[in-house]
Amino acid sequence: MALEIGKPIVDFSLPGVDGKTLSPADFAEKPVLVVAFWCNHCPYVRAYEERTIALAKEFADKVAFVAINANDAVKYPEDSFPNMQARAKEMGYPFPYLHDESQEIARAYGATRTPEFFVFDSQRILRYHGRLDDNWENPSAVQQRYLRDAISALLNNQLPPVADTEPVGCTVKWK
Amino acid sequence: MKVELLYYPDCPSHERALELVREALALEDIDAPVNVIRVETDEEAERYRFIGSPTIRFNGIEVDPAPHLPYRLTCRTFRREDGRLSPVPSLQMLRETIALARKEEEHHGS
Repeated sequence: MALEIGKPIVDFSLPGVDGKTLSPADFAEKPVLVVAFWCNHCPYVRAYEERTIALAKEFADKVAFVAINANDAVKYPEDSFPNMQARAKEMGYPFPYLHDESQEIARAYGATRTPEFFVFDSQRILRYHGRLDDNWENPSAVQQRYLRDAISALLNNQLPPVADTEPVGCTVKWK
Repeated sequence: MKVELLYYPDCPSHERALELVREALALEDIDAPVNVIRVETDEEAERYRFIGSPTIRFNGIEVDPAPHLPYRLTCRTFRREDGRLSPVPSLQMLRETIALARKEEEHHGS
Protein backbone atom coordinates (compact mmCIF):
# COMPACT_ATOMS: atom_id res chain seq x y z
CA MET A 1 0.00 0.00 0.00
CA ALA A 2 1.29 3.45 -0.92
CA LEU A 3 2.36 5.98 1.68
CA GLU A 4 -0.79 7.61 3.02
CA ILE A 5 -1.77 11.20 2.36
CA GLY A 6 -0.84 13.26 5.43
CA LYS A 7 2.16 11.10 6.33
CA PRO A 8 5.73 12.50 6.49
CA ILE A 9 8.25 11.86 3.77
CA VAL A 10 10.29 8.65 3.87
CA ASP A 11 13.94 9.60 3.95
CA PHE A 12 16.35 8.25 1.37
CA SER A 13 19.94 8.58 0.33
CA LEU A 14 20.44 7.36 -3.21
CA PRO A 15 23.09 7.71 -5.90
CA GLY A 16 22.21 9.79 -8.92
CA VAL A 17 23.27 9.48 -12.53
CA ASP A 18 25.56 12.51 -12.10
CA GLY A 19 27.54 10.76 -9.35
CA LYS A 20 25.99 12.70 -6.47
CA THR A 21 24.18 10.96 -3.63
CA LEU A 22 21.03 12.87 -2.72
CA SER A 23 18.45 12.90 0.03
CA PRO A 24 15.32 15.00 0.67
CA ALA A 25 17.39 17.37 2.84
CA ASP A 26 19.23 18.47 -0.29
CA PHE A 27 16.03 20.11 -1.51
CA ALA A 28 15.09 21.81 1.76
CA GLU A 29 14.97 25.28 0.20
CA LYS A 30 12.15 24.27 -2.19
CA PRO A 31 8.61 24.52 -0.79
CA VAL A 32 7.42 21.50 -2.78
CA LEU A 33 9.15 18.21 -3.47
CA VAL A 34 7.93 15.75 -6.09
CA VAL A 35 9.25 12.19 -5.85
CA ALA A 36 8.54 10.22 -9.02
CA PHE A 37 9.08 6.48 -9.32
CA TRP A 38 10.49 6.16 -12.79
CA CYS A 39 12.34 3.86 -15.14
CA ASN A 40 13.76 3.61 -18.65
CA HIS A 41 11.87 0.76 -20.25
CA CYS A 42 8.23 1.50 -19.52
CA PRO A 43 6.16 3.02 -22.35
CA TYR A 44 4.01 4.91 -19.85
CA VAL A 45 7.12 6.65 -18.52
CA ARG A 46 8.07 7.41 -22.10
CA ALA A 47 4.58 8.74 -22.78
CA TYR A 48 4.81 11.02 -19.76
CA GLU A 49 8.48 11.89 -20.06
CA GLU A 50 8.16 15.16 -21.97
CA ARG A 51 5.19 16.27 -19.88
CA THR A 52 7.15 15.65 -16.68
CA ILE A 53 10.23 17.45 -17.99
CA ALA A 54 8.09 20.43 -19.02
CA LEU A 55 6.45 20.58 -15.60
CA ALA A 56 9.79 20.35 -13.80
CA LYS A 57 11.19 23.20 -15.91
CA GLU A 58 8.10 25.34 -15.46
CA PHE A 59 8.20 25.08 -11.66
CA ALA A 60 11.98 24.89 -11.31
CA ASP A 61 12.17 27.94 -9.03
CA LYS A 62 9.96 26.52 -6.32
CA VAL A 63 9.55 22.80 -6.86
CA ALA A 64 12.16 20.06 -6.73
CA PHE A 65 11.55 16.96 -8.83
CA VAL A 66 13.40 13.72 -8.11
CA ALA A 67 13.06 10.57 -10.20
CA ILE A 68 13.85 7.18 -8.67
CA ASN A 69 14.35 3.94 -10.58
CA ALA A 70 14.02 0.77 -8.50
CA ASN A 71 13.53 -1.77 -11.28
CA ASP A 72 15.41 -5.05 -11.37
CA ALA A 73 18.10 -4.35 -13.95
CA VAL A 74 18.99 -8.02 -14.33
CA LYS A 75 15.69 -8.90 -15.96
CA TYR A 76 15.22 -5.41 -17.42
CA PRO A 77 18.69 -4.33 -18.56
CA GLU A 78 17.36 -1.07 -20.04
CA ASP A 79 17.00 -0.01 -16.40
CA SER A 80 20.66 -0.49 -15.49
CA PHE A 81 22.55 2.44 -13.98
CA PRO A 82 24.58 3.10 -17.18
CA ASN A 83 21.36 3.11 -19.19
CA MET A 84 19.79 5.50 -16.67
CA GLN A 85 22.77 7.80 -17.19
CA ALA A 86 22.34 7.57 -20.95
CA ARG A 87 18.60 8.28 -20.82
CA ALA A 88 19.00 11.28 -18.52
CA LYS A 89 21.62 12.71 -20.85
CA GLU A 90 19.69 11.98 -24.03
CA MET A 91 16.52 13.63 -22.74
CA GLY A 92 18.24 16.36 -20.76
CA TYR A 93 16.46 15.54 -17.53
CA PRO A 94 16.21 18.76 -15.50
CA PHE A 95 15.88 16.68 -12.31
CA PRO A 96 18.11 14.17 -10.50
CA TYR A 97 17.63 10.55 -11.57
CA LEU A 98 18.41 8.26 -8.64
CA HIS A 99 19.02 4.53 -8.44
CA ASP A 100 17.26 2.48 -5.75
CA GLU A 101 19.14 -0.72 -6.42
CA SER A 102 18.05 -2.46 -3.21
CA GLN A 103 14.41 -1.47 -3.92
CA GLU A 104 14.06 -0.55 -0.22
CA ILE A 105 12.90 2.99 -0.95
CA ALA A 106 10.29 1.91 -3.49
CA ARG A 107 8.99 -0.60 -0.92
CA ALA A 108 8.99 2.02 1.85
CA TYR A 109 6.91 4.37 -0.33
CA GLY A 110 4.63 1.52 -1.36
CA ALA A 111 5.25 2.39 -4.99
CA THR A 112 3.75 -0.10 -7.42
CA ARG A 113 3.97 1.57 -10.82
CA THR A 114 6.15 3.69 -13.04
CA PRO A 115 5.47 6.53 -13.33
CA GLU A 116 4.01 7.16 -9.85
CA PHE A 117 4.18 10.59 -8.23
CA PHE A 118 4.37 11.57 -4.55
CA VAL A 119 4.10 15.31 -3.80
CA PHE A 120 5.26 16.73 -0.47
CA ASP A 121 4.59 20.19 0.97
CA SER A 122 7.08 22.51 2.69
CA GLN A 123 6.86 20.44 5.88
CA ARG A 124 7.46 17.37 3.72
CA ILE A 125 4.02 15.95 4.39
CA LEU A 126 2.51 13.91 1.55
CA ARG A 127 -0.27 15.92 -0.09
CA TYR A 128 -0.72 14.21 -3.46
CA HIS A 129 -0.11 10.71 -4.76
CA GLY A 130 -0.84 9.13 -8.13
CA ARG A 131 -0.73 9.93 -11.82
CA LEU A 132 0.29 13.04 -13.70
CA ASP A 133 -2.95 13.56 -15.59
CA ASP A 134 -5.95 11.69 -16.96
CA ASN A 135 -4.75 10.85 -20.47
CA TRP A 136 -1.54 8.89 -21.08
CA GLU A 137 -2.42 8.39 -24.70
CA ASN A 138 -3.05 11.89 -25.94
CA PRO A 139 -1.54 14.98 -24.28
CA SER A 140 -3.87 17.29 -26.17
CA ALA A 141 -6.94 15.48 -24.82
CA VAL A 142 -6.01 15.85 -21.15
CA GLN A 143 -8.82 17.21 -18.99
CA GLN A 144 -7.52 16.68 -15.45
CA ARG A 145 -4.00 17.87 -14.65
CA TYR A 146 -3.70 16.27 -11.23
CA LEU A 147 0.00 16.82 -10.64
CA ARG A 148 0.03 20.40 -11.87
CA ASP A 149 -3.07 21.23 -9.82
CA ALA A 150 -1.52 19.70 -6.71
CA ILE A 151 1.69 21.69 -7.13
CA SER A 152 -0.17 24.93 -7.82
CA ALA A 153 -2.40 24.45 -4.79
CA LEU A 154 0.55 23.79 -2.48
CA LEU A 155 2.42 26.85 -3.79
CA ASN A 156 -0.70 28.85 -2.89
CA ASN A 157 -0.77 27.35 0.61
CA GLN A 158 -3.82 25.28 -0.20
CA LEU A 159 -4.45 21.56 -0.28
CA PRO A 160 -4.62 19.84 -3.68
CA PRO A 161 -8.18 19.60 -5.04
CA VAL A 162 -7.58 15.87 -5.63
CA ALA A 163 -5.21 14.17 -3.20
CA ASP A 164 -5.04 10.62 -4.49
CA THR A 165 -5.41 9.01 -7.91
CA GLU A 166 -4.67 5.53 -9.20
CA PRO A 167 -1.22 5.55 -10.80
CA VAL A 168 -1.20 4.25 -14.36
CA GLY A 169 1.89 2.57 -15.77
CA CYS A 170 4.09 -0.50 -15.67
CA THR A 171 4.51 -2.41 -12.45
CA VAL A 172 7.72 -1.87 -10.51
CA LYS A 173 9.94 -4.80 -11.49
CA TRP A 174 10.80 -6.46 -8.18
CA LYS A 175 13.75 -8.79 -7.83
CA MET B 1 -8.08 -13.51 -40.93
CA LYS B 2 -6.50 -14.89 -37.76
CA VAL B 3 -6.22 -12.08 -35.22
CA GLU B 4 -4.37 -12.47 -31.91
CA LEU B 5 -3.92 -10.03 -29.04
CA LEU B 6 -1.59 -11.29 -26.34
CA TYR B 7 -1.42 -9.40 -23.07
CA TYR B 8 0.15 -9.36 -19.64
CA PRO B 9 -2.54 -8.45 -17.10
CA ASP B 10 -0.30 -6.20 -14.98
CA CYS B 11 0.08 -3.90 -17.96
CA PRO B 12 -3.00 -1.69 -18.29
CA SER B 13 -2.84 -1.07 -22.04
CA HIS B 14 -4.62 -4.19 -23.32
CA GLU B 15 -8.18 -2.93 -23.07
CA ARG B 16 -7.37 0.13 -25.15
CA ALA B 17 -5.36 -2.06 -27.52
CA LEU B 18 -8.35 -4.36 -28.03
CA GLU B 19 -10.57 -1.37 -28.82
CA LEU B 20 -8.03 -0.18 -31.39
CA VAL B 21 -7.72 -3.63 -32.99
CA ARG B 22 -11.50 -3.86 -33.35
CA GLU B 23 -11.63 -0.34 -34.77
CA ALA B 24 -8.88 -1.12 -37.29
CA LEU B 25 -10.63 -4.35 -38.38
CA ALA B 26 -13.88 -2.46 -38.86
CA LEU B 27 -12.15 0.24 -40.91
CA GLU B 28 -10.61 -2.47 -43.09
CA ASP B 29 -14.02 -4.13 -43.39
CA ILE B 30 -12.83 -7.37 -41.85
CA ASP B 31 -15.19 -9.44 -39.75
CA ALA B 32 -12.88 -11.62 -37.69
CA PRO B 33 -12.86 -12.58 -34.02
CA VAL B 34 -9.96 -11.43 -31.89
CA ASN B 35 -8.29 -14.27 -30.01
CA VAL B 36 -7.30 -12.65 -26.70
CA ILE B 37 -4.53 -14.58 -24.96
CA ARG B 38 -3.39 -13.92 -21.40
CA VAL B 39 0.34 -14.36 -20.79
CA GLU B 40 1.27 -14.69 -17.14
CA THR B 41 4.53 -16.61 -16.81
CA ASP B 42 8.01 -16.41 -18.28
CA GLU B 43 7.43 -19.85 -19.80
CA GLU B 44 4.31 -18.61 -21.56
CA ALA B 45 6.19 -15.52 -22.76
CA GLU B 46 8.79 -17.83 -24.35
CA ARG B 47 6.18 -20.11 -25.85
CA TYR B 48 4.19 -17.27 -27.41
CA ARG B 49 7.33 -15.27 -28.45
CA PHE B 50 5.95 -12.46 -26.33
CA ILE B 51 8.19 -9.41 -25.99
CA GLY B 52 5.64 -7.32 -24.17
CA SER B 53 2.04 -6.33 -23.74
CA PRO B 54 0.19 -5.92 -26.00
CA THR B 55 1.53 -8.14 -28.77
CA ILE B 56 -0.80 -8.07 -31.77
CA ARG B 57 -0.63 -10.38 -34.78
CA PHE B 58 -2.68 -10.57 -37.97
CA ASN B 59 -2.19 -13.96 -39.66
CA GLY B 60 0.95 -14.26 -37.56
CA ILE B 61 2.37 -10.93 -38.76
CA GLU B 62 3.25 -8.84 -35.73
CA VAL B 63 2.51 -5.15 -35.38
CA ASP B 64 5.82 -3.28 -34.97
CA PRO B 65 8.01 -6.40 -34.70
CA ALA B 66 11.11 -6.14 -32.54
CA PRO B 67 12.98 -9.46 -32.87
CA HIS B 68 15.99 -8.12 -30.96
CA LEU B 69 14.02 -7.89 -27.70
CA PRO B 70 13.86 -10.78 -25.19
CA TYR B 71 10.64 -12.60 -24.35
CA ARG B 72 9.38 -11.26 -21.03
CA LEU B 73 6.48 -9.97 -18.97
CA THR B 74 6.35 -6.24 -19.40
CA CYS B 75 4.59 -3.42 -21.20
CA ARG B 76 5.57 -2.86 -24.78
CA THR B 77 6.57 0.44 -26.37
CA PHE B 78 5.38 1.43 -29.83
CA ARG B 79 6.87 4.30 -31.81
CA ARG B 80 4.03 6.01 -33.59
CA GLU B 81 4.34 7.72 -36.93
CA ASP B 82 4.40 11.13 -35.23
CA GLY B 83 7.48 10.00 -33.27
CA ARG B 84 5.67 9.66 -29.95
CA LEU B 85 6.33 6.57 -27.85
CA SER B 86 3.17 4.90 -26.69
CA PRO B 87 1.97 1.80 -24.82
CA VAL B 88 -0.39 1.04 -27.74
CA PRO B 89 0.07 1.14 -31.53
CA SER B 90 -1.71 3.74 -33.62
CA LEU B 91 -4.65 2.88 -35.82
CA GLN B 92 -2.42 3.49 -38.83
CA MET B 93 0.14 0.94 -37.61
CA LEU B 94 -2.62 -1.62 -37.15
CA ARG B 95 -4.13 -0.93 -40.56
CA GLU B 96 -0.75 -1.19 -42.26
CA THR B 97 -0.14 -4.61 -40.67
CA ILE B 98 -3.63 -5.76 -41.66
CA ALA B 99 -2.90 -4.67 -45.24
CA LEU B 100 0.34 -6.65 -45.18
CA ALA B 101 -1.44 -9.74 -43.85
CA ARG B 102 -4.09 -9.35 -46.52
CA LYS B 103 -1.47 -9.11 -49.25
CA GLU B 104 0.20 -12.31 -47.99
CA GLU B 105 -3.19 -14.00 -47.88
CA GLU B 106 -3.89 -13.02 -51.50
CA HIS B 107 -0.41 -14.08 -52.57
CA HIS B 108 -0.79 -17.52 -51.04
CA GLY B 109 -4.36 -17.85 -52.33
CA SER B 110 -3.47 -17.05 -55.94
